[in-house]
Amino acid sequence: MKIDFSINKKPVSIDVDPEMPLLWVVRDELHLKATKFGCGKAMCGACTLHVDGEVYRSCSLPVQYAAGKEVTTLEGLSTETQIHPIQQAWIEEEVPQCGYCQPGFMMAAAKLIQEIPNPSDEDIKSNISNICRCGTHPRIIKAIKRAAVIQQASKI
Amino acid sequence: MSAKANSNKRPFSRRKFLRRTAVVLGGSIVAGFLGCSPTRRYLAQTVERMDFPAIISSMKPDFWFQVLSDNSILFKSPKIEMGQNVITGLAMLAAEELEIPLERIKVEHASTSSGIIDSLGTGGSNSTLALYIPVREVAATMREMLKTAAADQWGVALSSVSAKDGVLSSGGKTMTYAEIAESTTEWKTPKTPKLKPSSAFKYVGKTVKRIDLQEKVMGTALYTIDHGRNGLLHAITLECPYLNGKIKSIDTTEAAKMPDVVKVIQEDDLVAVVAINRYAAEMAVRKIKVEWDIPKAWQQKEIIELVTVGKGRRVNVQDKGSARSILSNSKAKVFEQAYRTPMAAHAQMETYGTLAHIENDEASIVIGTQAAGMVQGQLASALGIKKDKVDVQTPYLGGGFGRKMGRNNATQAARISKIVGAPVKLIPTREQEFQNSVYRPNTHHVLKAVFDEQGELEAISHDQATPDMVMKDLGGNFALSMFGADWLSAGHGASILYPVKNRSTSIWNVEVPYPSGIWRSVGIFANTFAIESFVNELAHHTKQDPLEMRLKLLQGGDELNQRMIKVLETLKDKTDWGTKSKAGVGRSVAICNDRKTIAAAAIEVSIVDGAIKVLKVTEVIDCGIAINPGGIQQQVEGAIMMGISAALYEEITIADGKIAASNYHEYPLATLNDVPEIQVTILENAPEPFGIGEPPLGPVAPAIAGALLDLTGKALRSLPFRLDEG
Repeated sequence: MKIDFSINKKPVSIDVDPEMPLLWVVRDELHLKATKFGCGKAMCGACTLHVDGEVYRSCSLPVQYAAGKEVTTLEGLSTETQIHPIQQAWIEEEVPQCGYCQPGFMMAAAKLIQEIPNPSDEDIKSNISNICRCGTHPRIIKAIKRAAVIQQASKI
Repeated sequence: MSAKANSNKRPFSRRKFLRRTAVVLGGSIVAGFLGCSPTRRYLAQTVERMDFPAIISSMKPDFWFQVLSDNSILFKSPKIEMGQNVITGLAMLAAEELEIPLERIKVEHASTSSGIIDSLGTGGSNSTLALYIPVREVAATMREMLKTAAADQWGVALSSVSAKDGVLSSGGKTMTYAEIAESTTEWKTPKTPKLKPSSAFKYVGKTVKRIDLQEKVMGTALYTIDHGRNGLLHAITLECPYLNGKIKSIDTTEAAKMPDVVKVIQEDDLVAVVAINRYAAEMAVRKIKVEWDIPKAWQQKEIIELVTVGKGRRVNVQDKGSARSILSNSKAKVFEQAYRTPMAAHAQMETYGTLAHIENDEASIVIGTQAAGMVQGQLASALGIKKDKVDVQTPYLGGGFGRKMGRNNATQAARISKIVGAPVKLIPTREQEFQNSVYRPNTHHVLKAVFDEQGELEAISHDQATPDMVMKDLGGNFALSMFGADWLSAGHGASILYPVKNRSTSIWNVEVPYPSGIWRSVGIFANTFAIESFVNELAHHTKQDPLEMRLKLLQGGDELNQRMIKVLETLKDKTDWGTKSKAGVGRSVAICNDRKTIAAAAIEVSIVDGAIKVLKVTEVIDCGIAINPGGIQQQVEGAIMMGISAALYEEITIADGKIAASNYHEYPLATLNDVPEIQVTILENAPEPFGIGEPPLGPVAPAIAGALLDLTGKALRSLPFRLDEG
C-alpha cells in the first residue's frame, strides 16, 4: 500500500506494510539514521520524533498513521541557516556521552520548550520520561533551560 | 611531574621502530607508520595494571597517525569511544607532540584491517593511563620525521627546522606537514625524542569539548545499526529465554510463509528468520512454534543461596597480621555484618548487534564492540578461516559498561550471512538484550571487626562470595583452576585499604547457571558497597562521625592512604561537614581506590512520600593528572547517576528458569526525576593520569546506605535499597 507523507518538509511516497513501525520506515526506507531503535515498546524514547508537531515514539507507531502528515526527525530540527535552540544548547552544555539516546531526548525537549517556553526543573522532570544510561540527565536539564533562553532571545 | 613518570619507562627503540613509507591510498593518505616498541610497553602496562594473567597477553597492538592532504592528522585510535570520551583525551595528548592544533586532528577507530586495534579491548578505565606516554612518543617521533624530511629537502640542519601549528619552517622557508609528506618518499626514523615537559602543555589540563560532540548532537554519529550494505538483509534469531535451555521441538512452517521473508534458518542451535526488512523478520520470528527443554527451572532463592560465603573455592588475597585468629579468639566482641548485591543488567541503550558479510571465505564485520580483537579471533575460529580474513570495523558504541566485552552475536550473524549469501544485519530485540545477555553477578560479603581495649580497630576481615567475571572468557576453566578465583575482576577492590594492623580478605569462587561478566567498575561496585557500608556501620556502632573515623583510620598508612586523606579533607571542606545536616536529611560518606584513582562521595538523602530521595552528591576524585577536566566532570556525573540507579532501582532476578526482566518496564533505571544537586571536585595528587570512567561509581551506593543509616538508624545491607527491609 502506498503511503504519502512529508519527512522533514519533503514529500515522500512509500510502499510498505502499513503496520510497519514508522521507526523502520524512517531509518531503512528513508535512510535517516538519527532516530534510534532502543526498546521496541515505546518505553525508552530513543525513537522519539514528531508527527504534525506532536511527540511520538516511532517504534510503536504504524506508518499508516503518518499518512498525509508531517514527520520531523532530528535531521529536520535545524534549518540550513539556523541551528535549533535545543541543539545549540546541547552543544554548549556538552550533553552527550555515548550519544545513542540523545536524538530522542532532543526531539522530546524541542517539543517541551515549544509548549512551555520557560520550563522549571519540575516541568522538565515531569514531562520527559526518556531513558539515558550514561547518566547525562543533569546536563539534559541544564541544556533544556539554556535552550529556552536561546529560544526567547531569538524571538525578540 | 612527568619526568618522574617517564623515568622508569624504557625509551623507544629505533631498531624496532617499523615504518611504512609513502603509502598512498585514494590520494589522501600520504604517510603512515607503526610504532612497535611503545605499544609492547603499553601492552605490558595494560597487563600489569589490569593484573591480567600473562597467558592471554600474546598479541601485538599498535597504532598510527596519518598526515592527510588537507594538512590534518588522522589518528586511528586503538581504543573505542563508547561515551567515556577517550578519543578526545588521546587526541589532546597527540596534539601536544605533533605541534598541530587539536581541531586538525581527526579521530576514528582503528579496525582490524586499518590501523591497529587493542586486542585486549577497551575497558577497565585504563586507556588513558596505558597510552599516556606511548601516544606522545609516537606523535613526537612522527613530528621529528617530518622535520628531518624538511631539513633534507631544504639542505639545512635539522636543528634549524621548527614545527608549529602544522607548518615546518627554517629561515624564510615554510612548508605544511601535508606538503612535506607528499613530496617525501624515503623517511628517516629518529630516536625517540624527549617529550615536552608538562609545563609546556597547551591542551592537557584544560577543558576541551568532546571531539564527537557535533556529530552526536546533529545526529550524524553512526552506530552498528546505522551501517548498511548493498543487498542487506535483516535477521532475527530465535533465542531461548530459559537459562541453558535447548530446543525440544520446533515448527517454522508459518514463519516461512510470512511476507517479505527470505529464509528461515534452522541449523543445529541456530534458528533465525531472514527478511528484506526488520519488521518482517520480527513478525515472522514470532510465528515460530517452539517447545523448550529446560534443564532446571532456576528460582531466585536458589541463585542467592549458591552465592554465599563458605561455599565454593576460597582464595586468600590479603593477609596482614593475624586477623583471622584474633577475630576467632574474640568472638564475643566481634562486630559482624553481611551484605548482598544483586545481579544487574547493563541495559545500555544500544543492543549489542552485528552486521556481517561473509563472501569468498572472507568476513567483513561491523560491530560496536569493546573487544574487536576478541571478536576477530572468535569469528576466525567459528568460520574456520584465518584471522587476517576477518575484518572487524568498530563504529561508535551506544554505551558499553562492560556489556560489549561479553557475549555477542557476531558468529550467528556471520553464519546467517554465509547461509543466505548476502550481508546481514542482526540486531537483538530489547527482550533478547535483557534475557540472553551477560550479567553483573550477585555477590555476598561477610565483614568482621574487633576493637581493642583502647577502642582502636584491631582486626578486620572481608569474605566475598562471587561468580567469575572474566576468567572463563579469557582463559577458560584452566585460568580459573590456576588462579582459584576471579580476584582480578570480581574480586577487584575486595581488599581492606585502611592500614589496620590485622586485616584479611578472601574471595570465594562460586558457580552460577547464568553468564556473569563485567559491569561498569567491575568488582569495585560490590566490594565498595560492602566494605564502606560496614565502615559506616562501625562508625555508627561506636558513635563516631563516619568521615572523621576514616581520617583516623587512615593515619600512618601508605602513599595511597595519604591521597585518601587529602580527598576526604577536601570533601569535608566542600560539604561544610562541620555543620549539622538539616532535620529530615541523612548524610554519609564513602571512598574507594580503583587502580590508583581515589573517589569519595558525601551524599545527603531524605525520604519523600515513602521513597528514598538522593538530594545532594558531592564527589571528590583524585585521578592523578587530569587531562581533560570537563570530560572528567562528565564521567563523574554519569557515574553518580548510574550509582543512584543501581542503589535504588536495579535488580535482575531469575524466576522459573528465566531472567525475569524482559524490557525496561521490568528493569527501571534512574530518570530525570532522580537528578540530585551534584558537585564535583578534581584533585591531581599523582604524576600519571589514572582511570576515570569507573572509579566514581564505587562510593555512591554505600554513601547512600550510610546516609539512610544516619537518617533512620536502620542499616540496609542489600541492593537495591528497600525501606521495609533491613
